[in-house]
Amino acid sequence: MSKETHSVWARRLDHAWMILAGLTIVSVVAAMLSPPGQRTSLLSVVVALVASFIKARQVLDHFLDLRRAGSGWQGLFNGLLLTVLGTCLALYLAALSR
Amino acid sequence: MSENGEGGWGALSELPGNPLMWVLILSELLVFGALLVGFAAVRLLHPQMVLAGQSALSIPLGGLNTLILVTSGWLAAHAVRLRSTGDIGGSRRRLAGAGALGLAFLVVKGFEYADKAAQGLGIETDTFWTLFYLTTGFHAAHVVMGIIILAIVGWKNTTENLETGAAFWHMVDLVWLILFPLVYLLR
Repeated sequence: MSKETHSVWARRLDHAWMILAGLTIVSVVAAMLSPPGQRTSLLSVVVALVASFIKARQVLDHFLDLRRAGSGWQGLFNGLLLTVLGTCLALYLAALSR
Repeated sequence: MSENGEGGWGALSELPGNPLMWVLILSELLVFGALLVGFAAVRLLHPQMVLAGQSALSIPLGGLNTLILVTSGWLAAHAVRLRSTGDIGGSRRRLAGAGALGLAFLVVKGFEYADKAAQGLGIETDTFWTLFYLTTGFHAAHVVMGIIILAIVGWKNTTENLETGAAFWHMVDLVWLILFPLVYLLR
């Protein structure tokens, strides 16, 4: 990978922060649409989990620079994140049907 | 890729920064991942207990702490960038900002714990609260350690030290980004 200039590096970090902050606000607002004591909608659950995955990737790729690593490492971290988030979603859906 | 990552580390040599930090990041993700899956399993076994517990959590405070940590991580990433340009002063100021936001995270967390304690919700209240305090407390302990590490690499601020310290801080950030929705938002 060619070496990026510092201004490009700075803009990339700023862009990642905007995505992180924006997705945090979206997932919080989506969850707060349901009153306390009641279950959140399935849509807000999906929003929270998708936002979590995207945010984790932003931190890995841009703050930790994992984007410079090979596809095997990218796949390992994707797999780990998807396994944890997917298992928790599956258990959440199973709990709904009880 | 940093020089210490080349030679003798096998596949880990492909990763940016200190290879041992990536071993730690993977280990921590596995440990917290197991804790969070355990949390989801408790929800399956006791859905009403978990719903009641989560309803007592403050989503705005959890969201505020998320914004604090991602902003702190952003400052730490800029500290590494500035150090690589030779701007030591600018790097140290951003690192100090990152550490200060880490302290702010702990203050918010302390306020949240005090509020729950005032409501009589302690670690022995039920399984939900045991897991809540265990998971978030374990994470908060990492925040404390991260602040100490940021202070050390701000003092001994070679580029390699800074990269390694910031990587630990980003790992703490990363864990919270998974923990927050699973504990606070999936109600």
